[in-house]
Amino acid sequence: MQLKDRITQGLESGWKVTDGATLTGNRTLEADVVIIGTGAGGGTTAEILAKSGLAVILVEEGRLYYQKDFKMDELSAYPSLYQEGMSRVSKDGAIAILQGRCVGGSTTVNWTSSFRTPDVTLNYWTERFGLDALAPDAMAPWFDGREQRHSMEPWAAEPNVNNDILRQGCDRLGYSWHVIPRNVKGCWNLGYCGVGCPTNAKQGALLTTVPGALDNDAHLIHGLRADKLVMDQDRIDHLQASALTADGITPSGVTVTLKARHFVAAASAIGTPGLLLRSGIPDPHNRIGKRSFIHPVNACVAEMPEKVEPFYGAPQSIYSDHFNFSGGVDGPAGYKLEVPPLHPAMASGIIPGHGDTQINNMARLPWMSSIIALLRDGFHPDSPGGTIGLRDDGSPYLDYPVTDYLWDGLRRAFHTMAEIQFAAGAKRVHPMHLDSNWYTNWADAKSAIDQLPMERHRVRLFTAHQMGGCGMGANPEESVVNGFGEHHHVSNLSVHDASIFPTSIGANPQLSVYALSARNSARLANQLKT
Amino acid sequence: MNNQSEIRSTSADFAHLNRRSFLKTGLGGALFLGTVSVTAGLSGCSPAAGTRMDGSYEFRFLTLDDIQLFEALLPAIIGPGLPEQPQARRMAIAGTIERIDAGIHNFGPANQKELRRLFDLLNFGVTRVTVARVWSSWPKVTNEEADAFLKRWRTSSIGLFNNGYIALTKISNVAFYGYEDFWHLSGYPGPPQWAVDALPQFQTA
Repeated sequence: MQLKDRITQGLESGWKVTDGATLTGNRTLEADVVIIGTGAGGGTTAEILAKSGLAVILVEEGRLYYQKDFKMDELSAYPSLYQEGMSRVSKDGAIAILQGRCVGGSTTVNWTSSFRTPDVTLNYWTERFGLDALAPDAMAPWFDGREQRHSMEPWAAEPNVNNDILRQGCDRLGYSWHVIPRNVKGCWNLGYCGVGCPTNAKQGALLTTVPGALDNDAHLIHGLRADKLVMDQDRIDHLQASALTADGITPSGVTVTLKARHFVAAASAIGTPGLLLRSGIPDPHNRIGKRSFIHPVNACVAEMPEKVEPFYGAPQSIYSDHFNFSGGVDGPAGYKLEVPPLHPAMASGIIPGHGDTQINNMARLPWMSSIIALLRDGFHPDSPGGTIGLRDDGSPYLDYPVTDYLWDGLRRAFHTMAEIQFAAGAKRVHPMHLDSNWYTNWADAKSAIDQLPMERHRVRLFTAHQMGGCGMGANPEESVVNGFGEHHHVSNLSVHDASIFPTSIGANPQLSVYALSARNSARLANQLKT
Repeated sequence: MNNQSEIRSTSADFAHLNRRSFLKTGLGGALFLGTVSVTAGLSGCSPAAGTRMDGSYEFRFLTLDDIQLFEALLPAIIGPGLPEQPQARRMAIAGTIERIDAGIHNFGPANQKELRRLFDLLNFGVTRVTVARVWSSWPKVTNEEADAFLKRWRTSSIGLFNNGYIALTKISNVAFYGYEDFWHLSGYPGPPQWAVDALPQFQTA
């Protein structure tokens, strides 16, 4: 019964959970392993290491939110559960970055899509980065294991209308589509995955691996910001961290020193490179924070003749990979097609506008449908990715130049999305671009999209998938960690999150992070126990 | 931060703010970084609690100037979504500005700094006139003038202005349309009642 609240029970049973806001004096803590981050990577690592008998401390900058806090309300959820209160953007402001910041990380707020790393991607890594041990056959058991751990199954219920439009449009045009596997157990099909699952159905890190670690005596400290890994000669000696007050933002002045034999960075593809850069971790080839990938996303909305109610129902259940690998793995930019949920705040943030135009658009929300295209970046020489850097205050930023190669893919994606929407019966279609209008037929939309200037800010761009920045590879001159997430130069440092991907994935990344972290943690547990 | 040196360096940049340098720096997205913080000292006072609505809300980021800016912009951004009845209209605007303030508090220091530069640029008379091309101070700006300003920044070929347009409209739209009292404007009935009735977090003890 999914209403049994795992977190309340655990807290009552004596889990070691500390809210950084309650700390009143500086202190030093010690463990076998300190893990920074509690998302897909950190949670998996914590559970596996704790179950093997190692003493584990989990450090989370965000706060612990769970069922009691998940009230299906955008305005309370976005500020508390997302990085920078949902205002995170790329350095030039042109790309909105959706990323979790809470216990469970992005798995607490994602839309539950659970894809294996495509074989094409794994084979490309093998050939291009010398990652032979990550070939599809070798990875298959790890995907199997994580699919079971997180209850991942293709969505068995009917897709909601929003997703069904993608399915119908693809069907009519002869484009392939498939059902999305979701990590849910007893899902109520409500549609509020993005603001914290209200029914405990979502099997993200918050309700699986983090409780699994805490059941095995791991210590979770949330509201604690990892400032710096401090080296002693060639090893990390300790992590320096700052406690935050109950607002989750303001440092209280209390510092915590965390000593351990081994450190695992799992703070996301923006957070981990930021932490390593702040710490001055040895980087002889200047690789930390390079090759940062985001699956750049553009969107197209449509007004349908029948009600869509895009705010209700499992947000993502249908996808199309028809255009994802069709140009070859390193050909013209490919894109995966999915659907976003549209609640009022999200919709009003995605659709750029003001005044009469905006309210007329918003008034049609119940009839509105949207498709998003996720571009596969990092596979072509003209898609080298972005860079993670540090602001004056030490916080990380993403600088992501959109290259002509990607603009070409984004324009083709606009075409495809509009074509599919008209094929599914759309009355009118509106690409998310400052110079676009509503178009009432495919021919008009087609010629308009051909003319749209593909420029920063004018094309509305998003990312919900941050990857790379501490890429893995056999050659230390072009990577930060090896194929097991072990740092090339610091023997007691591992990276277990999406930052180790040497390219983007070409699919929503949570299962890729779970599987690689499980594989690398099993190895790490063996090493640390001997 | 050393205020003196910041004011000096920003003043120097400010002196070079003409259309040509603007185009140059604007492409780098760095204009706000250097030019406008000079005004922070002029407008950095927080409004006293109790000046809005029932006074129970204490502003944490927006200054009195910022509040006047949004009082001028919201009628153009939200347009006919705002109630016509004067008291209800005042309440809707004030409540939206409070939610904007609360939202910005959660943006954290880095994005707050960016917004401070944007708001200061719009509030400081010289830059309001030369950069935003808004001739009157915000309390005297008409709805038509506010709309024209928004359209200029939306259609501008300067990416930085587009970015400013997106920032202003996005934080306003989210704070307005995302709020329960205005869900009906987007035909959103709210979370399904049967689920609310069944879930423990909605039951009052």
